Amino acid sequence: MTAAPRPYTLVAELTYRCPLRCVYCSNPVDFHRARAELSAGDWRRVFSEAAELGVMQLHLSGGEPVLREDLVELIEHARACDLYTNLITGGTLLDEDKLRRLRDAGLDHIQLSIQGAARESAETIAGVRSHRKKLEVARLIRQTGFPLTLNVVIHRLNIAEVPELIAIALELGADRLELANTQFYAWAAENRRALMPTREQYERAEENARAAIEKYRGTLEIAFVQNDYLSGDPKPCMGGWGRSYMCINPAGEVMPCHAASVIPGLRFETVRDSALGDIWRDSPAMNAFRGDDWMMEPCRTCARKEIDFGGCRCQAFMLAGNAAEADPICRLSPHHSVVESMRKDSGAADPLIYRDAKTSREICKA
Amino acid sequence: MRVGDAWRPRLVARARLKFDPVGNQTMILFPEAALALNETGAAIVRLCDGARSIDEIVDQLSKKYDNADRDALMREVIDFLDTIRARGLLQ
Repeated sequence: MTAAPRPYTLVAELTYRCPLRCVYCSNPVDFHRARAELSAGDWRRVFSEAAELGVMQLHLSGGEPVLREDLVELIEHARACDLYTNLITGGTLLDEDKLRRLRDAGLDHIQLSIQGAARESAETIAGVRSHRKKLEVARLIRQTGFPLTLNVVIHRLNIAEVPELIAIALELGADRLELANTQFYAWAAENRRALMPTREQYERAEENARAAIEKYRGTLEIAFVQNDYLSGDPKPCMGGWGRSYMCINPAGEVMPCHAASVIPGLRFETVRDSALGDIWRDSPAMNAFRGDDWMMEPCRTCARKEIDFGGCRCQAFMLAGNAAEADPICRLSPHHSVVESMRKDSGAADPLIYRDAKTSREICKA
Repeated sequence: MRVGDAWRPRLVARARLKFDPVGNQTMILFPEAALALNETGAAIVRLCDGARSIDEIVDQLSKKYDNADRDALMREVIDFLDTIRARGLLQ
């Protein structure tokens, strides 16, 4: 077993409840089965333990974390632990008064999602009316004095809007803009054929983003998160399994990333039963793909194994049927042809599958 | 961009300093990332309060590091601040 490194980042998924129904949602497709949410007391203890382990960054995520009535209390405690505290929100439930209370609690930063530049297409993605409210909230966030990251998940239905999205971020006075190409897990995997852009669309978007990154350096930081199907580069997912990052879901299960529950056979320990440090260091799930003992060929002898760590374990399972295989995104993977056909499989007129509890139940029954 | 005489540097709103007791180092924390500073770097950033000029920062550091060559220190501070500003962390 490899000695456990220190964690830097904790994503706390406070709830799976959400007023939005985004078709790319990263919450598990079977989220309706999730057990009761952790209490405020559980989360406070977890934040204290995380800070002791060396965690620097705390992301309060969901679902929609603003639905937690104890959010202010949780932020106060996170700041008392001196964690850099970021709220990842859809924004639709925020107003001036709530934002002031979040600021007074010590929240460091807000990451607000929008679903596109144009109202109609954005609301087609979110599945509810929300676009105007989000833009209004973005302005309130800046007026309250928060640094703002605008996050947009990019896919075939909004990828042509990259120039307009950059204009919106500039107009709102955002500090950062994340143009995050869809990662095909969970609900996004259900909708893959509808969301996969064409190579031409992707290359144009990347070109626009690269030019803007240079042009607005010092004014607006722009991050372009790649679509690995189209870039062809296996991603060094989470900076390596169990190396620096952990995610705790609403029920308290500790995972190396929010998607890891798709891998069968991993049992995630919960912070209800064990101390966070013990789970981080010793739990079988957190150790399953640490180091490189688990690697198969071609990863095992690959010069890039310390660069991309063999890509994403979840994707290896989803596309190759074995989480210890090379990520099939890699052209050296024996399963790479699967990715080649999927990347060409764009533009299907499939109906969009919206993320909500009813659909979650239907998919699990099927 | 060169550091101007009138500049009174301070961290941008989204960045803050934190001592990391596990790594025994000072870090600048900002969205999605952190930058570890060595001891001199940390001493310089701690002096960047938006009120002190570069000259005043170098004066303070000269007192802290006895016998330091002031010109060499000035060059070091300016290079360092340029680097941090290029990362978008100082204004």
